[in-house]
Amino acid sequence: MCKTICPEGCIEESEDEFFIPDETYCKGCGICAEECPSDAILMEQEEK
Amino acid sequence: MIEITEGSHAVAKAVKMSRPQVIAAYPITPQTHIVETLADMVADCELDAEYITVESEFSALSACLGASAAGSRTYSATTSQGLALMFEVCFNVSGMRLPVVMTIANRALGAPLSIWNDQQDSIALRDCGWLQFYAEDNQEATDLHYIAYKVAENPEVLLPAFVCFDGFILSHTYEPVDMLSQEDVDLYLPPYKPAQRLDAADPISFGMYATPEYYMEFRYEHDLAMKRAKNAISKAGKEFGEMFGRDYSALVEGYRLEDADTAIITMGSLCGTVKDAIDEMRTAGKKVGLLKIRCFRPFPSEEIRKALSHVENVAVLDKNVSIGAKGAVAIEVRDALYGKTIPVLGYVLGLGGRDVRISDIKNIVSLAESGKGDQFYGIRPEVL
Amino acid sequence: MAETSCELFDCGHRACGGCGAALASRLILKATGKNTIIAAATGCMEVFSTPYPETAWKVPWIHSLFENNSAVASGICASLKKQGRTEKVVAIGGDGSTFDIGMLCLSGAFERGHDFTYICYDNEAYMNTGIQRSGATPFDASTTTSPAGKCSKGNARPKKDLPQILAAHGAPYVATASIAYPSDVVKKIEKAINTPGPCYVQIHAPCCTGWGFEGEKTLAIGKLAIETGLWVNFEMENGVVTRVKKVVRKPVETYLKEQKRFRHLFKPKVNAEEIAKIQAIADKNAEKYGTDLKLKSKPGPVVP
Repeated sequence: MCKTICPEGCIEESEDEFFIPDETYCKGCGICAEECPSDAILMEQEEK
Repeated sequence: MIEITEGSHAVAKAVKMSRPQVIAAYPITPQTHIVETLADMVADCELDAEYITVESEFSALSACLGASAAGSRTYSATTSQGLALMFEVCFNVSGMRLPVVMTIANRALGAPLSIWNDQQDSIALRDCGWLQFYAEDNQEATDLHYIAYKVAENPEVLLPAFVCFDGFILSHTYEPVDMLSQEDVDLYLPPYKPAQRLDAADPISFGMYATPEYYMEFRYEHDLAMKRAKNAISKAGKEFGEMFGRDYSALVEGYRLEDADTAIITMGSLCGTVKDAIDEMRTAGKKVGLLKIRCFRPFPSEEIRKALSHVENVAVLDKNVSIGAKGAVAIEVRDALYGKTIPVLGYVLGLGGRDVRISDIKNIVSLAESGKGDQFYGIRPEVL
Repeated sequence: MAETSCELFDCGHRACGGCGAALASRLILKATGKNTIIAAATGCMEVFSTPYPETAWKVPWIHSLFENNSAVASGICASLKKQGRTEKVVAIGGDGSTFDIGMLCLSGAFERGHDFTYICYDNEAYMNTGIQRSGATPFDASTTTSPAGKCSKGNARPKKDLPQILAAHGAPYVATASIAYPSDVVKKIEKAINTPGPCYVQIHAPCCTGWGFEGEKTLAIGKLAIETGLWVNFEMENGVVTRVKKVVRKPVETYLKEQKRFRHLFKPKVNAEEIAKIQAIADKNAEKYGTDLKLKSKPGPVVP
C-alpha cells in the first residue's frame, strides 16, 4: 500500500516483500508511516 | 492559371493547396471570407483537413500550437482584436519553435473600434518572434503563403509566420491572380516532417519552465533562427521564381530607385499607390523611387542600407504608430541607416482605414524634401 | 532510481513533501499508461515536474499557458485523428486553470466533443502562486486573497459545481475522485480515457502547504473531506449519477479543525454560525447525491 500512496513513487519492494523508501528521493513526508495498517514504517529525524 | 478572384478566396485556395492537416480559426472581419471558403472546401471534401470551430482566437492559436506540436502542418487567420487576444499564445508558439502559418488581414485596433485597415495589429507584435511578410497585392498575398510554409518548416528556421495583407483593401478586392496548380504546390512544398513532435514512441516534454540559468540561451537561439531565416527566405523565394517565374528572393524591392534622390519606404498595399504616384512624379521630372519592404521580420537592415546608399531623402510611410514615439518602420529604417547622414522622416498615415491618395504621396515627398516630417499626416483639424 | 524505475511519473520532482497533486500525477500515469500525450496547464504540477532541463514525465508532454490546455488538447486530437494515430490525449490542470481562467477553452473543447480526458487536480486554490482563492475554494476557507480577518470570514462563495457544468455540456463520463482512495482514482481515469468523447475527472488533492496540515496527513484529510460530505466521490454517465461513495457521515468540524485555513472558525472562539453554514453545505451534498449510509445497529448517521 505504501508503494501506491507515496507522492514521490520512491518506495521499492524487496524480494522478501519488505517495502523500502529510496532515501535519495524520500522527502520524509510521513504519509507511508501514517497510512501503514501494520505500523511497519518508522519516521526518523535525519542527523546532520 | 490567371483568375479574377477576391483576395480572401485566393488566399484560401493557396492555403488549401498547402495541405494543412489542421485548421483552427475564429471569424473576425475582414478575415471571414478566408475561413468561410476553407470551411466550404472541407464540407465539399475538397480539402482533407480537420477544421476546428474554436470558441475564440485565443483558442484558435492554442489549438494550432497543440496540432503543430503533435506533428501537423497547421493554419489559422485573424486580425486586429483577434490577434491581440492571441498575444500570449504568439510568444508561446514561437518560443516552442512551431512553424504555424497565420494570415493577418490587417485591421486597426480598438479603442475606438474600427474594422478598417491599418497595420498596427501585426506591427504591435513585432517582438513576438514570428516571421512577418507584407503583401503588396493579392498575387503576393497568395504566393507568400507557400513561401511562408517552406521557410517556417525549414529545419534551420522552425519559426511561425504571419502573412499580412491589408484588410478590405486586399482581402475584399478582386484582382487577377495567377493561381498555381496543386501539382505545382506539391512540388514546391513537400509534406511537413517535424524533427521533434509529441509522440509516445519517443516521449519528450515541450514548454517546460526555464530558470535564469537557462532562459537567455533559449531567446538567443530563437534570435539566431530569425537571422538564419533571411537566407532561407532568399533561397525559398529564388526557388519559387525558378519554378513559377515570380522571384521572391529579395526581402526588399526597389521601384525606380536606382537613380532616385528621394526614396519612399513602405509596406503592403500602399506600395501600389506609391508606385502610381512615382510614375506621375517621374513624368514631371522628379527623381523619386520606392523601397518596398516585403519582409519585416527578420528586419532587412543591411538590405535597406545598401539600397538607400545613394539617396538624399528618405520618407517612411507608416500605417501604424507607437504612441509616444513614432511609426515602427521609420524607427527601424533610421536604425538601419545609423551612421549615415541621409535624413529619414516618418509619416503616420492611413490609420483606421483613412484613405491615402496619390496626391497625398506627392505632398509627402514635398514635405520630406523640405525637411518637414516625423508627424501624423492627413489629420482633419475640424474633427479635433 | 530514475533509471530503474518503471513508473511513468518519475521521482526527483520538486513537490512539497506529502503533496496530494504529486500523488495524483503518479496515479494518473498508472492509469493512462505510456500511449498517452499530456497537455498540461501552468500550475503546481507543471512547475514541480518540469524544471528545465529535467522532466518527471516519461510520456510526451506539452505545457503551453495557464488557461489553454483544453484548446491545445483539441489541436492535438485533431492532429492525431488526421494522422491516424492512437495515443490517448489527456489534459491536466489545477483548479485555478480548470475552474477559472481556463473555462473558455474547457467549455469549447467539451462543446465540440473532442475525444480526450480532462483531469483536474483540485487543491482548492491557486497554490503555485501562493495560495490565492479560486472558484474551487470552499466556503469560508482562508486564502491570501480571501483571508479571514476582522471583517471577513474567508472565502464568501461556495465551490463552483464544475462536474455538473461539464455534464451539462453532454460529457459522456464525469467523475470525482480523491487521492485518499488511490485505486478508485486509477479506475475512474481508466474508464474516462476508454470512453469516447470528452470526459472529466476531478481529483481532490489536499495540499498540506496551502491548507495548513502536516504532510503525513494528506490521505487522512482527504478521507475526512469525504466522510463529512464536503467532498462527494461520484460518477455520472451521460448526465445521470450512476455511482456514489456512501459514508457514515461525521460532523464537518472533524475536517475543518485539522486545517489552518479554517482556524478562524475555531479561534479565538468557535464560530458556530459559520460552521453551521458549512454543515448545511455538507447536508445538501449528502441529500443531492444520497451519500448517507444508515447502519443497522445505530439510529442514523451522526449529524449535529
